[in-house]
Amino acid sequence: MMEWIRFFITALLMLSGMIFFTAAVVGANRFGHAMNRLHAAGIGDTAGLLLVLLSLFVAAGIHVDTVKMAFILFFMFFTSPVSSHFLCQIEYYTNPKLYRFTQKRFGKKTEKTKSEH
Amino acid sequence: MTVENAYIYLFTAALIWFALLITVGLIRAIIGPRITDRVLSINMISTMVISCIAILAVYLKESYLVDVALIYAMVSFVSVLILISIYLPGRTVRTNESEEKDVSEEGSAGSDNKEIPDGQGGEIQEKEKPVKEGKKSPQQKGSGKQARRKSKKRR
Repeated sequence: MMEWIRFFITALLMLSGMIFFTAAVVGANRFGHAMNRLHAAGIGDTAGLLLVLLSLFVAAGIHVDTVKMAFILFFMFFTSPVSSHFLCQIEYYTNPKLYRFTQKRFGKKTEKTKSEH
Repeated sequence: MTVENAYIYLFTAALIWFALLITVGLIRAIIGPRITDRVLSINMISTMVISCIAILAVYLKESYLVDVALIYAMVSFVSVLILISIYLPGRTVRTNESEEKDVSEEGSAGSDNKEIPDGQGGEIQEKEKPVKEGKKSPQQKGSGKQARRKSKKRR
């Protein structure tokens, strides 16, 4: 009976991780601008990987593998925001059309273009 | 139906679903209009591959596959950093409009256009001129609006 409870906890965590990964992929394909896509892709990097690896923690029990998976989680939680930051930076520096998506709320040209929109 | 069979079914279903998600994520890497979208989708795919390898390590009860997943995480992070260092134009801070030209010129000079597969480095320079002229003259603001509508229609 305890084995089945453990299996159901594993299945629940795995399915929720799958839902987060599906949300990441759908958002990366459906959002309109690259920074929105970055936001969607960051979900899978953190929440999806966390839930999938937590389910594997429950499935494998106390083992050497769980420590290594914890290292993977630790590593990804530090490197995923860094890579997202650099991707956002390269989008900011190389996209000449970026002001169209940002000037409605932020930036210097807000007051001039208010009459247009 | 024993517990071991249930674990096998769960892990196979998860791996099949991951394969579908990776193929869907490749679509963004193919049709991505800029280099950012491609690097983004590759980063997302590598995250899914890491979780695939971690699932396989528990499924096959092979301990060395977790090491492979750890190395894969490090390599994917380094690959993203290297791709960004190729395409990032210098470390200048963009403060006002007069410096924007300098940044764009450095971008064209720093990253060779031959290395960009789609020739997007050339497009950036061509499209930047009407954008800047559009800020000054009111007549070309309309053309900028039309261009934006066209770009919305394309999506």
